[in-house]
Amino acid sequence: MAYHFDFTFVPDYAGMLAQGVAYTLGLTVVGGTLGILIGIGGAVSRTWNVRPFGPLYGYYVELFRNTPFLVQLFLIFFGLPSLGIKLAEWQAAILAMVLNLGAYSTEIIRAGLQATPRGQVEAADSLAFTRWQVFLHVMLRPALRKVWPALSSQVVITMLGSSVCSQISAEELTFVANFIQSRNFRAFETYFLTTAMYFGLALLVRQAMHAIGRHLIVRRPSR
Amino acid sequence: MPLVSTNRLHKFFGTNHVLRGIKLDVEEGEVVTIVGRSGSGKSTLLRTLNGLESIDDGVIEVDGATLEVDRADASALRNLRQKVGMVFQQFNLFPHLSAGQNVMLAPQVVKRTPKKEAEEIARRMLERVGLAEKFDAFPDQLSGGQQQRVAIARALAMSPRVLLCDEITSALDPELVNEVLGVVRQLAGEGMTLIMVTHEMRFAREVSDKLVFMHEGKIHESGHPQAMFAKPATAEFASFIGSLN
Ligand SMILES: Nc1ncnc2c1ncn2[C@@H]1O[C@H](COP(=O)(O)OP(=O)(O)OP(=O)(O)O)[C@@H](O)[C@H]1O
Ligand SMILES: [Mg+2]
Repeated sequence: MAYHFDFTFVPDYAGMLAQGVAYTLGLTVVGGTLGILIGIGGAVSRTWNVRPFGPLYGYYVELFRNTPFLVQLFLIFFGLPSLGIKLAEWQAAILAMVLNLGAYSTEIIRAGLQATPRGQVEAADSLAFTRWQVFLHVMLRPALRKVWPALSSQVVITMLGSSVCSQISAEELTFVANFIQSRNFRAFETYFLTTAMYFGLALLVRQAMHAIGRHLIVRRPSR
Repeated sequence: MPLVSTNRLHKFFGTNHVLRGIKLDVEEGEVVTIVGRSGSGKSTLLRTLNGLESIDDGVIEVDGATLEVDRADASALRNLRQKVGMVFQQFNLFPHLSAGQNVMLAPQVVKRTPKKEAEEIARRMLERVGLAEKFDAFPDQLSGGQQQRVAIARALAMSPRVLLCDEITSALDPELVNEVLGVVRQLAGEGMTLIMVTHEMRFAREVSDKLVFMHEGKIHESGHPQAMFAKPATAEFASFIGSLN
């Protein structure tokens, strides 16, 4: 018996799907930006073991890299209210993504900082730079440039991982897909479409990261 | 009073006693060349002079900035480094910045020189090393000799009182050595105080006011280069000269 594909439901749900995409992209942009900033802070704190941040970051990184994202999300959304911190779904979703990406990007960026040739640091030292000036002006940009592809992949992974935020009813793309599927019972078509949309989003995010990398990090005058 | 003066300088790497009581005075405008066998402590001595290596005993004084063993905090180091420029064997340019930006960076960041002024300084310094037209070139677009000249310009942009050069032509292809030595010769002619380590013996004899021969962590013999080469005072220096050819 042949299965009849039926995509006629799509126009009815186009608006919802668009909102789901926007939600997912929003989570990714905010989570990606803040996560990378946390990663830069973590990388420098750990590289120089700045107290008390270095050791604290160490625990944080280990904790978040060795536990499932879904559990981290549940801990934040269902667990924190017990401590009197009640977050809306979107707040919990963003926080979980920021913390998760922050942990991974700390280690990625740290690897980039450690790859700085010693001679460049010595050259800056010999010019009377302070430690922070060395970090900011000599180490950071080449380090980010070196690890930007890895960082971009991590942002994409985090975006794809955001689909589990549907579990706390954050209305991102997977949440919308689940909703549609529960209405039309067209599981294959609905999730096929969702898969294609995630794929497109991943390509988009990768392209965006590539463009950001080119403009912010390389910043070479065209000649 | 000498511009640079060290006394009782000692340095250990673990149990390796690398500098064994160095006393060195360098007058303003003097060109001093340090020679010696591999491992005799030449680089270590230069590196202590701007605080890249800590010292275990003794004192370093450059133009009023003093560095002592127990008083070598970060601000004392930076104070010293503002007076002592350094050029390295491996150039060590910042790869993400153009030649001009490499030269501008330290004045902007360390001395808070406004950008426009820093750019003027950078253009002047690049012109001094014969690279005025390379302001916008990136390090990987320059030859080794050009990179080293940018590195010299970068050090000069901080107006150091003395410039340290550690084998700055050793990493260069032979045909690029002369353009860098030419810049050093010109600086010497302009009255810049220079302390350098080099294996270019002919060049050293030609431009140096003073030759320092290091042996096993000590200044074994020093004096005017012509005189020292004509008549070595110690067997070790004589054997060192002998090993050159
Ligand atoms: N960072 C370091 N850690 C440990 N030992 C070091 C270090 N740097 C230098 N040394 C040791 O100190 C001694 C002196 O080294 P230095 O580099 O000053 O010699 P040099 O005279 O410059 O030799 P070369 O002509 O080969 O450059 C050597 O025994 C070397 O192995
Ligand atoms: Mg050496």
